[in-house]
Amino acid sequence: MMRCWLLRIAAVLLLAVTFAPAPVHAHEAAVAVLTVKEVRPARFIAKWELAPTFDPRLIRLNFPSQCLWAFPELECRDPGLVGPLGIENLSSNMSAVMLHVQPMQGETQTYTLTAANPRVTLTGAGALSFDGWMELGRTYLNLGIDHILLGIDHLLFVLGLIWIVRGGWRLVKTITAFTVGHSLSLAAAAFGVIGVPEKPLNAVIALSIVFVGVEIARLRRGQEGITVRYPWAVALGFGLVHGIGFAGALVSLGIQRSLLPAALLSFNIGVEIGQLGFVLLVLALLWAHRTLTAELPRWGAALPAYAIGVPAMFWFIGRMVKLLTT
Amino acid sequence: MKRILPLCAAAVLALLAHPAQAHIVSSRLGDFYAGAVHPLLTLEDLAQWLALGVLAGMQAPRNGRWVVVAFPLGLVLGAALSRLGVLGAPPELLNSGLLVVLGGLLALALDLPAIAIAALAAVLGVLRGAANLDGLPAAEDAVLVTSGILVSGYAVATLAAAVTLAFRRSGAPWRAAIVRAAGVGVAGMGCALAAFA
Repeated sequence: MMRCWLLRIAAVLLLAVTFAPAPVHAHEAAVAVLTVKEVRPARFIAKWELAPTFDPRLIRLNFPSQCLWAFPELECRDPGLVGPLGIENLSSNMSAVMLHVQPMQGETQTYTLTAANPRVTLTGAGALSFDGWMELGRTYLNLGIDHILLGIDHLLFVLGLIWIVRGGWRLVKTITAFTVGHSLSLAAAAFGVIGVPEKPLNAVIALSIVFVGVEIARLRRGQEGITVRYPWAVALGFGLVHGIGFAGALVSLGIQRSLLPAALLSFNIGVEIGQLGFVLLVLALLWAHRTLTAELPRWGAALPAYAIGVPAMFWFIGRMVKLLTT
Repeated sequence: MKRILPLCAAAVLALLAHPAQAHIVSSRLGDFYAGAVHPLLTLEDLAQWLALGVLAGMQAPRNGRWVVVAFPLGLVLGAALSRLGVLGAPPELLNSGLLVVLGGLLALALDLPAIAIAALAAVLGVLRGAANLDGLPAAEDAVLVTSGILVSGYAVATLAAAVTLAFRRSGAPWRAAIVRAAGVGVAGMGCALAAFA
């Protein structure tokens, strides 16, 4: 018996180590931060505060036409560093580039370029215009949608909840509780009220999915776990954890505080749009399977539990290995 | 009808010189979503997938449900054969012909046995899987693209079959007639695609 368990653990560890270098992270899409500091009037020096994961020269920035850009130098004629800024070559492995413009006088301005919104308008010093706010909202809304759609672990957790709760008001309450939980912790983490190191956090997120997988397996055996009895409580609790994970994408951008509420709101709405789309798709597919009487045979009833739990266990072990070895 | 048939035949023959080209769209969300979205933006894929789903929905559930398994597996097999260089994109003649066959089966409202539905779904899956992977740029991850196509194909065929079944079940005989008329439309589209190409 003991030998059998040891063999299982060894197999899981081996697989985890094998898969550890593979892209199994919650938020694969990376973020880069470029600071452009004014050293003389209309003359700037740029520096990657957070370098891209690939050669930064591949990212092509198109500054306004009156500006001459040759990294790390940027020089602008009148009217200065204002006008359209575009970016090329952003893709799925680089979701956003944050640009901080530090003028010699006045506040630092922050702009976010994403693959969905590769153009922004540099406004210079002064209050953000209506168009600027709209641009900011659109940028972060898309970033939120991208973030949830690329965050396979968040989607897997939601899938587990749907599988346990199935439908009806219980599911509405459960998904609402998850939304409330992750919105609260996302806001708290984004404003710096709470802070959790990324690596252990990602391990706990993976563990939350393992937990849901185990609950599905227990349910199949006729045992009602805590998720079956109080799904909203589990959704709320783990929602708080997942929300801190969502915040990682915002915090790493280092967005200026005055823009943070609007950016946070747009980002959260984007996350909810993506999540709602996923929930509706899964519910539609469950309905389709019932209608077609295409349901899993008895011997395959445990499949969902393993389909959710096994990858999550790999992630957990891979993230723990990463946590303990770096 | 007599006028349409020669037109179709001429158009189809003209197509023989123009093999289909797969064109994976690049997606900001990566190769998985690129694979999932690409077939939905391609008329040939979408029309064939939907027609297959609707045809499955016109059958008794115990027969039609095989599409849920056979079609995605066919897509994966086709993608694998394409990557191995065994199978390329099917010629336009075959694509248009398949649409005509699917539309014809729908229009005739034939009750097909489970094995026939499963075989049709698998063959269509293999052809579309190969078509979608053909000419995949080296920079794209074939496994992720195939996974996206698999999920997309499964979702489209399953939902189309279930919606058709629910629509047809609810009673009035005109509902089945509407689906049969749609079959005529699909067959016509097959001819039109051949002609336009």
